[in-house]
Amino acid sequence: MTPAIQLSNLVKTFGPVRALDGLDLDVEVGEVHGFLGPNGAGKSTTMRVLLGLLRTDSGSAQMLGRDPWKDAADLHRQIAYVPGDVNLWPNLTGGEVIDLLGRMRGGLDEKKRADLLERFELDPSKKARTYSKGNRQKVAVVAAFASNAELYLLDEPTSGLDPLMEAEFQRCVHEVKTEGATILLSSHILAEAEALSDRISIIRNGAVVQSGTLSELRHLTRTTVIAETAAPANRIGDVPGVHEPQFVDGRVMFDVDSDHLDAAVSALVALGIRSLTSHPPTLEELFLRQYGEDVATVSNGGAG
Amino acid sequence: MSSELTGSGHLVRLILRRDRVQLPLWIIGVGGMIAVSALAVPGVYNTPEKVAGYAATVGASPVSYLMSGRQAAIDTIGGITANEISQVAQLGVCLMVMFQVVRHTRTEEETGRAELLRSTVLARHAATLAGLGYAVLTTLLLGSLTTVTMLSAGLDASGSIIYGAGLTLLGVCYAAVTLVAAQLSTSARGALGIAGAAIALGYLVRGLGAMQDNALVWLSPFGWAQLMNAFGDERWWPAIPLVAATAGLLALAAYLNAHRDFGGGLVQPRRGDPRASRALSTSFGMALRLQRGTLIGWAVGLFLLALVYGAVIPTIPDLVKSNPDIGQYIGVSAGAEQALIDAFLRYILLFMAVVSTGFAVSSVLRLRSEEESGRAEAVLATGVSRTRWVTATVAVAGLGCLALMLLMGIGLAVGYGLGLGEWDQVAAQIAAQLAYLPAVLVVGGFAVAVAGLLPRYSMLAWVLVAAVVFQTMLGETLRLPDVVDAISPFWHLPGVPVEPFDPVPGVVELVLAASLVMLGLWGYRRRDMATS
Repeated sequence: MTPAIQLSNLVKTFGPVRALDGLDLDVEVGEVHGFLGPNGAGKSTTMRVLLGLLRTDSGSAQMLGRDPWKDAADLHRQIAYVPGDVNLWPNLTGGEVIDLLGRMRGGLDEKKRADLLERFELDPSKKARTYSKGNRQKVAVVAAFASNAELYLLDEPTSGLDPLMEAEFQRCVHEVKTEGATILLSSHILAEAEALSDRISIIRNGAVVQSGTLSELRHLTRTTVIAETAAPANRIGDVPGVHEPQFVDGRVMFDVDSDHLDAAVSALVALGIRSLTSHPPTLEELFLRQYGEDVATVSNGGAG
Repeated sequence: MSSELTGSGHLVRLILRRDRVQLPLWIIGVGGMIAVSALAVPGVYNTPEKVAGYAATVGASPVSYLMSGRQAAIDTIGGITANEISQVAQLGVCLMVMFQVVRHTRTEEETGRAELLRSTVLARHAATLAGLGYAVLTTLLLGSLTTVTMLSAGLDASGSIIYGAGLTLLGVCYAAVTLVAAQLSTSARGALGIAGAAIALGYLVRGLGAMQDNALVWLSPFGWAQLMNAFGDERWWPAIPLVAATAGLLALAAYLNAHRDFGGGLVQPRRGDPRASRALSTSFGMALRLQRGTLIGWAVGLFLLALVYGAVIPTIPDLVKSNPDIGQYIGVSAGAEQALIDAFLRYILLFMAVVSTGFAVSSVLRLRSEEESGRAEAVLATGVSRTRWVTATVAVAGLGCLALMLLMGIGLAVGYGLGLGEWDQVAAQIAAQLAYLPAVLVVGGFAVAVAGLLPRYSMLAWVLVAAVVFQTMLGETLRLPDVVDAISPFWHLPGVPVEPFDPVPGVVELVLAASLVMLGLWGYRRRDMATS
């Protein structure tokens, strides 16, 4: 089956800045794909390339089997988009904007529209100029999810939403996924991406640096182990794959490569385990590690 | 400084920093136009005969009264200079302060930037005071520049100073008008509309008063500034009503500001329709809806202007009977009323068409503001193609121009008909106004082309408007070379009804306008959309 989105070796420059620098991304049909990266990494630029708003310098882009630049208007009948910073026409009401965007996309689902307005507690008869940031965001979210699209491009869609609305948004994503839609979700709220995503791509400096399911990504990195042992675990650092052991209050804490977890735990067993906790890295740790290495490299480079 | 005004100094410095490019452009643009004309006048009217001729003809013509008022000492080189620069200088200074004051008051509030500032040690009236301070500074700059130019043209010192002072006070007075407008409307566009209408009203009232030679001139700030009689029987006391009006308006602005919420206006936002109408759901319907308010404002304003101009036409023959020289100047005897009326009509038709290029450009450049705000992105992410999106706005602009021209033609004909009781010329007048439409469309087409091809430089479209205004108002006086005149698309069209109608230039310009639109569309189809 052709992927819903297939980007390969995309390059987009703005003057001297390489916003996308050889970006590869595959999003399979029917999956929720988390698209993570720090501010300025190129997430929104990628979204705008997919929307046909920006023309790439090189590389190839396919969305639903077509060219997002050439077939923009036709493709857009099958997609829904929520930007992270929603700017609305001040003299139109929220309800008018929802109808307008829905009809320009080729129709909207009346039942869903009514249902979503209620769930997001949005007053559609207020002028957009009187909406708060969160309410403007809700207008875009309702317009998108009332559309029966095949593909949802969500670019930091929950910025400005309160936790209740955030939960409602997650339910919406689940619902459209159940209906068979594909979702590309860019975010820097990692808990959100972790809760929703089937697969994740981490983007840095305009290129995807890691991609896979959450467990695959975890497997590539280290597990954190905290143990209290009968005999001091002074030599645990000698076990291959164990990194940076720290000793606090008679307990040892270290990170271990997933491949060497067995050896490390065996070494602890030999010392007599009194308590043991171990957890796989959270997405946040994965992300910080990705980003932290970059920071370290930069500072080393600066020192050298 | 009282605590109500704390922080104004910081704000003025911020404004100067933000406007470090824009302010010099305004000063060079308006000041340059004033300087070019003021310095050219002594060369053109270099003999006593020419000066006397000007006083008897141009300076005493109904068009001149309507557009520039009754200038004192019109039979001196100082009076001629003041009369020639008056349109550019007076309207220029008013428009400058209007845009500047709204930009630094209501726009800041509407975008929410002012909120960030207000959270610092900044008192309630600080923004109003800073806006005023800035306007005083810029008008003083422009007024001084005018005085210095007049002095360097060898004009009388006290006249030059009085003229510059009158111009400065006029600008400050309209800055106060704009400050009130900025309290009334919640949107910057609305504030510009109110202030713009106030400028048009003051200008029109002075013009009518001057034409009829009656007390109406005493009801307009334009009149007060002019009644200081620079270069003639000079007097300072008409500055009193100018200053008093300014003070009163400032007090009103302060009162309104103290009695409204931040971000609010006098009118509470109403609730609207929770559903979009069928008409709104097309690209064209949406573009029309977004521009509805602006279009109605322009239509009402220009229709009333045309109506008034039409209504004064019947008084022209009387005016000429009292001054036979004008008839000679135009080349007709005082009895040939129709020729006189035609000369007047030609100028009015041209003037109103030139004014409506302002609508054409601002309407087309909606494309840019939609794009820069990110709202275009929302529309282009739906099934609407770029071509359709651009075409819809351009169609609204084009049809809007057509509607304005029709309304102006009707207004003129109705005003004229009411005054004379003659209704046989209605169709001819509407047709005559429409004869100027191609040039308006060329200016609009140029705006589409720059927005599509050179989006960062879309302001070039306004530069063309300024060039057209300049050429129309001063092209003949300054005897500009043809290549310069040729920049204005209006220059190529026959000056109906004085000159016979010739369809060729108009058709050529329509083709040119269409080509410019195609060029802009081509640019839009291939370039990146601005990222917010």
